[in-house]
Amino acid sequence: MKKSDDLDTRLKIAKSKLENSEIKTDRKKGVFLGNAFKLGTELVAAVAVGSIIGFILDNWFGTKPLLIILFFLFGSAAGIYNVIKAAKKMQENKE
Amino acid sequence: MATNPMHQFNVYKIGPEIKINGIDLSFTNASLFMLISGIFISLFLLLGTKDRKIIPGKFQLISEMLYNFISKMISDTAGKKAKPYFSFIFSLFIFVLFCNMVGMLPYSFTVTSHIIVTLAFAMFIFIGVTILGFVIHGFKYLKIFVPSGVPMVLLPIIMIIEIISYLSRPVSLSVRLFANMMAGHTMLKVFGGFVISLGLVAGWLPLTFSVALTGLEILVAFLQAYVFAILTCIYLNDALNLHH
Repeated sequence: MKKSDDLDTRLKIAKSKLENSEIKTDRKKGVFLGNAFKLGTELVAAVAVGSIIGFILDNWFGTKPLLIILFFLFGSAAGIYNVIKAAKKMQENKE
Repeated sequence: MATNPMHQFNVYKIGPEIKINGIDLSFTNASLFMLISGIFISLFLLLGTKDRKIIPGKFQLISEMLYNFISKMISDTAGKKAKPYFSFIFSLFIFVLFCNMVGMLPYSFTVTSHIIVTLAFAMFIFIGVTILGFVIHGFKYLKIFVPSGVPMVLLPIIMIIEIISYLSRPVSLSVRLFANMMAGHTMLKVFGGFVISLGLVAGWLPLTFSVALTGLEILVAFLQAYVFAILTCIYLNDALNLHH
């Protein structure tokens, strides 16, 4: 198995070179961009879902403007909560 | 010619109309491009696994890299317990990736730029993960809505916020992919239109932008597939290991 041993050492050298090269930092940049996309929609989606729940409950109970306002606020809170949770997770991954 | 930038998102029937019980099941261009993506994936992975050598060829190298990439992502985000779901997440990632990439070819159709497609994926994941959580943990899974260390006075409000936050998962998952793909393709088309209308005099400027945007779009196409897969892993992790 001389050939595969040789391949192993060559792979190790190539990988250690890769660690320090620009490809690695580029990939990290990609992850950051992915995170940015993630946070934006996370905030908006919760507000939308909260408002929709409020709208449906309003139609059920016939309390037209009240519950939609309340659930819009809950939705906004949930959106910010989502972003904080996601940001915390990102920091955990970094360390 | 189609000068309307939204024209590229039209869905039209190919071949005869098929109706079963009043549900329209006709073959459309969206189905065609899903099929094309499926064929590309099969060809690519078959080529990659055809002759398994110690020193891999190009296709084998790429498919092994994809395998390692997803396998590492799952073990990083969802732990060892998520190993049985590897095939699901791998198929999801590679299908979204190929749909996005096939959409980047000129004159093609981007399946993932339609919210019904992405919502179908997201709802499937959402319902599947919820059922999985209840199967594994029983009614204890409801604890996900009750964070520990919250005073009793605040508990009802926190619970409503947690439930809204949980329900917003499929929405954010589907809207992210759909909005990114649609915005990107509309932008490319708009800049393409500028090149034609400005002509030889000033058309070079939007052309440069178009080239740069195409590069960006390919990056976004990959990233969105990646984000879709990694969020599936995170949701799976929440269902498999209760943290609260």
